[in-house]
Formats: sequence, C-alpha cells, structure tokens
Amino acid sequence: MRSRGSLTGPLVLILVGFVFLVRALSPNLRLTDLIAHYWPYGLILWGVIALIEVCVRFRGNGPIPRNGVSGGAWAVVIFIALFGSSTFEMQRPDNWLRQVGFESGIQAFGEEHQYPVNTISRNVGATPHIILEDFRGDAKIRGTAGTGLSLSGQKSIASFDIQDADKANAASPVEVLTEGNTVTIRCHQDRLGTRTSVSTNLDLSVPSGASVEASDSRGSIDISSVTGNVDLSGGSIEDIRLDDLGGNVKVEARGTHSIHCSNVKGTLDLHGRGNDVELENIAGQVTVSGDYTGTVSLRALAKPVRLESMRTQLDARQVTGYVRLDRGSLDAKDLVGPVKLTAHATDVTLAGFTDALEVEVDRGDIELRPEHSAMGRMVVHARSGNIELAVPASAHFALSADTENGEIDNQFGDGLKESTEGRGARLEGSIGSGPDVNLITQRGSITVRKATGEEAAETKAAAGKRGGKGDPVLQRRSSFTLAADTFAAHSAALIF
Amino acid sequence: MNSRAALFAQAIRGPILLITVGILFAMRQARVLELSSIVAVVLIVVGVLKLVERLYVPPPPPGGPRL
Repeated sequence: MRSRGSLTGPLVLILVGFVFLVRALSPNLRLTDLIAHYWPYGLILWGVIALIEVCVRFRGNGPIPRNGVSGGAWAVVIFIALFGSSTFEMQRPDNWLRQVGFESGIQAFGEEHQYPVNTISRNVGATPHIILEDFRGDAKIRGTAGTGLSLSGQKSIASFDIQDADKANAASPVEVLTEGNTVTIRCHQDRLGTRTSVSTNLDLSVPSGASVEASDSRGSIDISSVTGNVDLSGGSIEDIRLDDLGGNVKVEARGTHSIHCSNVKGTLDLHGRGNDVELENIAGQVTVSGDYTGTVSLRALAKPVRLESMRTQLDARQVTGYVRLDRGSLDAKDLVGPVKLTAHATDVTLAGFTDALEVEVDRGDIELRPEHSAMGRMVVHARSGNIELAVPASAHFALSADTENGEIDNQFGDGLKESTEGRGARLEGSIGSGPDVNLITQRGSITVRKATGEEAAETKAAAGKRGGKGDPVLQRRSSFTLAADTFAAHSAALIF
Repeated sequence: MNSRAALFAQAIRGPILLITVGILFAMRQARVLELSSIVAVVLIVVGVLKLVERLYVPPPPPGGPRL
C-alpha cells in the first residue's frame, strides 16, 4: 500500500484558492498590496505546516519524507520570493526604478500630444461636495469667494500615432456632473486601452466652502483655501499639497512621494506608506501612521499628536517646536508633555520638552535637554545605547541612573552618589526637591551634566515663546477657531 | 543514532529553512535587515542544519570501500 503523500501542498493550494476567492468576492481588495506586504508570512506559514507534518509523522511512527520541502516546492518558493520582493519594491516610493528615472522613460515611448480642456463654469452653491473620480494627472483646486465652479486645463496624451491620440481625446471628455450638493468631475481616463496614456492637468476654482474627495486617483493633487473636509483616501496619489484648509483632512498614502500639509484648522489623519511627510501648523489632532521612508517633519501642532511608524511611536500633547524623524534618528524640540516615545534602532534627541517623559529605545543613543521650569517625571530606558541628560545647574530632581555595562559621568557633585556594580554603575540622589528621573541602560554610558549657558538660554527662550505674546505659533493658532480644550484633554487622556 | 532520527533531522531541514527565509524577508520589509544580512543568516542556518544532520547520521561501517 502506498504511503499517504504530504498534506502541505493541498493546504497551501486551499490557502491560495481562499485568497483568490476573497479577491473575487471583494473587488476592492488590493491583492497586489496584500501579496507585496505579506508574502514572507505565507512562507513562514508554509514552513510551519510542513514542520508540524514531519513532527507528527515522526511521533506517530509514520513514514518520514526524505525532504520536508521538495525540490519542486523550492522552485515555487523562489518564484514567490522573486514576485513578492519585486511587487514590494515597485510599491516603495523610493524604489530603484524611480531613482534612476526609468519610469519616465517608459512613459516617453510614443509621442506626447497636447489637447486643451474646454473651460466649464457652473453655479454649484456655497458648500458643494467635489468628487474627483478616476483621475490621472495633476489637479489644482483653489477655494474662492462665491458659488461658482470653474474648470480649465489640458490633456497630455502619449501615443504612437496622432489618430490614436485623437481617438483617446474624444473618448476621455472632462465632465462635471451635478447631483444635489455633490459635484462629480469625471475625466474618463479609465475608458482608454493600453495603446495610449492620458494625463489630465486640471485647474479648478471652487467655492471656498467646498469639501473635496478624490477617489481612485493618481498623479498630484494641490488643494488650498477650502473650508470643508478633504478626503484623499482612494488611489495612489504621488504628490499631495494641502494648504489653508478649514475642515478635517484624511489622507491614505499609497507610495506617495511627498505629502505637505499646512495651516489646517481641523484634524489630520494620515495613514499608509510614502516618502516625505511635512505637516505644519495644524490646529486639530494629528495622527500619522504607516511606513514613511524619507523624512517626517512635524511643526506647530496645537492638539495631541500620534506618530506611529515601523520603528517609532511618539505621543505628545502638543508640538510647539518641531519633530523631525529620519531613518535612524529622531530630533524633537519643544514638545508639550506628557511625551511617550518608543523607538527601534534610532538615536533620539529631545530638547525643551515639558511635563512627564517616557522613552524606550532598544538600540540608539538618547540625548535629553528638558526645560527645567516645567520638568516632569522621566523614565528613560535604553537596551543598548548611551544616555545623556543635560539640565540647568539650578534644576531640582531626584535621580536614579543605572547602567549594567558602562560608566556614569556625574557633573552635579556630591549631591548624587555614585557606586559601581560589577561592570556597571549606579548614580542616585536628590538635587533639591523635584520630580523623579530614572535613567536605565543595559549597555552604554550615562552622563548627567549641567546644561551649557547656550542650551539653558535656548530652553528659556522656548519657554518664553510658549507663554509670551511673541509666540508665532500661538499667534497663528489664535487666528483659528480651535475646538474646545476639553476635547484635547479628553483625547490626551485616551492616548496616555 | 538510529536511521529514523537521521531521516527526521534531514526532513525538518527544509521547513526550518523555509521559516527562516520567511522571517528574514519579513524583517527586511520592516527595514530591520539588509539583503546581504539575509544571505549571511541563511548560510549560517544551512550550515547549522547540515551539522545537526551529520551528527544524527550513523557512521559508515568500518572497512575499506565496497567494490
């Protein structure tokens, strides 16, 4: 009698079939996104199933296959790895194809033909909801006084011959459809075949009370001076620029190259993956989550902030200064606490923060320069890395610093008592009566020093700016209609 | 060591390697590891598995080569 064959193959087949079934039942599911991000977990699952099968056969005295994974299966694994890696790389905003400019080379096949878009003007009311549907190209949307919508622009059609370009132009008219309060702008670029590629550049003037939504769009979008909500949660928009907005903003980035957002009165919710992010002067709550490979820069954020990337999680009640997150470093100045930061393989520099601070870094150096007038409790933990704390000479605090493997440098004299324990050291004691400061590193040195005159002046100036009339951040914020402070307090309580 | 244990050591090599490759690529996508590190770790794991396999395989019978 033949021994029973491996169960792994059929199980993997069922799993693949199940994935395709889900795709068939929900067409909106982005299968390539799923494959690009989760294919390694598929291999792990496959390996675990095969391992369990071998173990069960061994324990049950059944026939053990000579190879847990056959030669044919390895060929499939290599194919999956190549396909998955390529898809993942293609979806990254800074992939090599874009870096060498090859992508534009592909688009350059065929000739570019320009066609004007006829100007459309319409009365749409004071607060229309504008939907940009299936859009490919660059769109500039400006809010203006009044109730009129005006649209103009041009189409750029890449095609091997002029007849195909003419046909493509005729097949992709720009339409403005009004239904109640909803105004849909449709460019019909999805009607075209593969022989032509149409990019539409639109210049839209809309009532300042408009809200804007872009669904399944690609290209770049620039929106300014509208007071309604902005929702860019569909499509793969490469560049996003949002300025002077009165409502809430929601952005879902899919390989977005740059996101710039400034002067927003509402909340901002950014999710997805992309390259550079720049947020400035946001009056509402800010949530940034996802994978951003470039620089994430946050400035003047008046309400609670949550930044959640693959390596870093930061919560703060307010950012009066800035936060700059690059690959391998986080630099922040003038954060209003409580501040909570968890980072992986990142050097952290925090200056001029107030209230409580909780930092946990697994690998990386930590440099802290608190603002002494509002210094709060500090709990700082590094698994591997140096910790440096610079406080003004007049600061009061109760210190407990431990390193399991490293040295401690104390510049506060006999008020703090140093002792050595094995290969590590301990420093504890109080300087006046102040908040608890706990510094722990498993491997690395700890320095507790007096801030230099320059550093002290810097933090003092920051404190003055926060409280004083000359604070440009406060001045900008005062021009906004801020949401009730109780909402901020409630949100902070939820976060912390 | 009996031949069944040797067969088991040989059979788990593939699944363990597959799990390792999956974990390493997941770490790469999370930007924890570079591609060069993946190759190095895979080589180390293959070496360790081969070593374990050799330890379990019974030694060849004494005497000269069979003709």
